[in-house]
Amino acid sequence: MDPKAGAIQARLQQQSSIFQKLEGDLTEVITARQRLDSQLSENEVVLKEFTLLKPHNTVYKLVGPSLVSQDQAEARGNVEKRLEFIRAEIKRVETQLKEQEEKVGKKRGEIMALQQELQALQPSGPE
Amino acid sequence: MAAEQQVQLTDLEPIQLQEVKKQLDQELDHLTTSYQQLKQAQAKFRSCLSDLGELTPSAKGKEVLVPLTSSLYVPGRLADTEMVVVDIGTGYYVRKKRSEAREHYTAKSASIQGNLETLQNTIERKQENVQTVMQVLQMKLQGGRGGGGGK
Repeated sequence: MDPKAGAIQARLQQQSSIFQKLEGDLTEVITARQRLDSQLSENEVVLKEFTLLKPHNTVYKLVGPSLVSQDQAEARGNVEKRLEFIRAEIKRVETQLKEQEEKVGKKRGEIMALQQELQALQPSGPE
Repeated sequence: MAAEQQVQLTDLEPIQLQEVKKQLDQELDHLTTSYQQLKQAQAKFRSCLSDLGELTPSAKGKEVLVPLTSSLYVPGRLADTEMVVVDIGTGYYVRKKRSEAREHYTAKSASIQGNLETLQNTIERKQENVQTVMQVLQMKLQGGRGGGGGK
């Protein structure tokens, strides 16, 4: 094989494995984002439930195997804090997602350029 | 909308169409799984509702078997038929009146019903998309055999 083509081939293989790793990382970030989303909606539902409480509705928190009664205001405060935390996390993961997508896109471009280079060399091969 | 999509699809090569179909199939899979899960959740809420129906004031003092584990039960007596404790999610439970609990589960079940209907529509639309892609693909394959491939 043409030594030049061989060199490109080797680089292509190397870049492809990097690309695959990047894509795997991206999938992980997406999964994290989805998990946060479901946590967000679950906590929102709970908070909504708390706003509808009347004084006789005692709130219990599951601690290990037992239910411990908790002050309504305190429980609401906890969930509000949790929501804040989740929203901050979503923002963080969102930027991570954008960065990762850019990385994957850039790598894809590099690989396509290498493939074109390789193809350009091909016709000269059989000659 | 459908016509516009057709135009775009017919521009694609068979291999690309197969990729599109694969992706649509995956989406469809995911959606139908979600649909099943929603159905199960709704069934759970409904069974809570019917259990609440069993808990009438006349049931007060009746003997019940309380499961300590899945195979160990102890006898007990219903002391309170007015209040129940409802799991509202993320580890929080709320003591509610029977009527309040019933409202809670009815609302849950109804909101899931809404989601189910939206999801049903999405699934139907996806299925139509898959059909369209299949048709175009078949057309391409038949045309390709006769005409010796596209551009």
